[in-house]
Amino acid sequence: MAAKRITREYAEISESPPSGINVSLDNDNVHKWNVVMAGPEGSPYAGGTFHLSLTLPPEYPFKAPVLSFKTRIYHPNVTNDEKGSMCIGILKSESWKPSSKILAVLLAVQDLLREPVPDDALEAQIADKFKNDRPGFERDAKDAVKRWAK
Amino acid sequence: MPPPNTPVAHTPRSLSVDFTESLPFHNITVPPPNTPSSALDSPHHNRQYRSRAPQVVEEAVETDSSEIDESQHIDYRALTYADTVNENLICPICKVAFVDPVDTECEHTFCKECIAHALEHNDVCPFDRNPLPQPATLTRSHKIVINQLDSLLVECSSCRAHVPRSMLRNHLDRYCKEALVDCPDKGCLQQVRRKLVDQGCLHNNIACPDCEGIHQEVAMSKHREESCEERQRQCDHCGTNILRCKQTQHEEECVELIVPCIWVQYGCEHQCKRGELNLHKLECNFRLMGPMADILRKEIQTLQSDVRYLTDKEQLQERRIKFLEGGQRESHRHSNYEEWSSQALTPLADSAQVEPLSESTNEYLLNLLGDQERRISQLSSALTELEGKQTMMLFNETVPIKNQIAELQSNQQMTSMHIRWFMNWRKEDQLRLQQQQRRFGGGGGCAGGSGGASESEVDGGGSSSELATPRRSPDSLTRGLVTKL
Repeated sequence: MAAKRITREYAEISESPPSGINVSLDNDNVHKWNVVMAGPEGSPYAGGTFHLSLTLPPEYPFKAPVLSFKTRIYHPNVTNDEKGSMCIGILKSESWKPSSKILAVLLAVQDLLREPVPDDALEAQIADKFKNDRPGFERDAKDAVKRWAK
Repeated sequence: MPPPNTPVAHTPRSLSVDFTESLPFHNITVPPPNTPSSALDSPHHNRQYRSRAPQVVEEAVETDSSEIDESQHIDYRALTYADTVNENLICPICKVAFVDPVDTECEHTFCKECIAHALEHNDVCPFDRNPLPQPATLTRSHKIVINQLDSLLVECSSCRAHVPRSMLRNHLDRYCKEALVDCPDKGCLQQVRRKLVDQGCLHNNIACPDCEGIHQEVAMSKHREESCEERQRQCDHCGTNILRCKQTQHEEECVELIVPCIWVQYGCEHQCKRGELNLHKLECNFRLMGPMADILRKEIQTLQSDVRYLTDKEQLQERRIKFLEGGQRESHRHSNYEEWSSQALTPLADSAQVEPLSESTNEYLLNLLGDQERRISQLSSALTELEGKQTMMLFNETVPIKNQIAELQSNQQMTSMHIRWFMNWRKEDQLRLQQQQRRFGGGGGCAGGSGGASESEVDGGGSSSELATPRRSPDSLTRGLVTKL
């Protein structure tokens, strides 16, 4: 069942991709997607191109997919390292619902780039900066985009 | 493949719903999606359905798989729908139109199979994360949902026709020409498309007439049309590549083939390529004559057939008239029959009277034959009638005789019974007499009377000769009576 649903969702997203999001399969494996996301306009990430890897567990849709940034990003909710693990509400095991779609997950990531959630941060320093020194945060984020996501 | 009635083994689970597609709910009696609507008319089903009382999906202990042929299992999630399905009918879990929809307590609808899978992972509603009790209380979705799902048009995977989803099983089982069915030859275990069933078993190997490769007969036409390396050849006339197996068809339409003028039968000797025939048509000398001749020919044909029909009819009528005439004469002669009063003479009389009148001997013979046949049938009917009467009479006669015999038998039995009883009575009488004699003569007391009686009963027959005689004489008398009877 998992494969069928994933194929269906993949077809849906490839046919009418949301703006700024592009998906492809990693080695034709439906359980591993490569996502290319453009930094949303109006955010400090605008102009950057972020590569993400989306892994769908065999139990999908009963287990949440795992999403990580392959491109380094300066963001309170994403670990600022090679792993790029991220914290996003919709993917937490206690809030994941089988009825959620991958498209919703990707849109949630886009929202997260537009509006970080400092209260749910993985990088406390960045979160602090975001809360207390918004212009400084935006400057740093833009620098990071220039450095890693061009 | 297991036989259709093989029970399915179950691993016990907190909520075990059988995931076999058309397996009915054990308790809610959900029919498989392909169930014909007539099957829903049973009062049992209606009652359960109208009440809509929440019922637990219990462990399906018995599996009613008698109708399910697993080889023809339909994957309802792989179907292609003719139109976009209304999103309200899409299962949030598998994202396709519901298959066997059920409702949770929080009034969310899922496929039976999907919700069961989801509950294996987590005891909450997959839609709103409301906790669901264990075991989950799932009710069958409302009829209006089922009906909407049943009426969704899906594409048959075999013949690409669009059929309502509920009819798909029926379509595949009975009507789909492309569906695979068992080979008509019982000994052949392979399958064949339904449209080829009439042609018998096609699973024998034959050689391709073009490339001499060996293929099954059933696949030969496909091979010759698609994969045979020798399948194409150049047309001798137009030079295009054509399929060998389609050569005759091509020759009927090849524009380069030299064909005669369409009016050849009326004398036009022109021959040209088919493509140029239209040009010739415009200048053919027969272009005016041809259609005219065609019309005339048709006219003549209809007239000929009319004439033939009329001739037949006339002959028939003539024969009938002859027959009637013969019959009249016969009725004349019937008055003479009585005078002669001898049937043996009639054929002679017939011949004498009819011969000069009849125009052909055949007619006469036919009449004669008919006459004789009629007489024979009369005779045979009379014979059967007589036979019937005879049997009836015999039956009537025998019944009273039988009754009498039975009566006599019963009488005889009664008499012999009486005699037996009489003899017994006599015997006891004799014994009593003997005892009395002994009591008075032997001077024995009353004591031991009963013992003495039994003793005398044992040896009485042999010891006292004077008693034996009177007892035997009625015996022999009875025997005599029995033999007489």
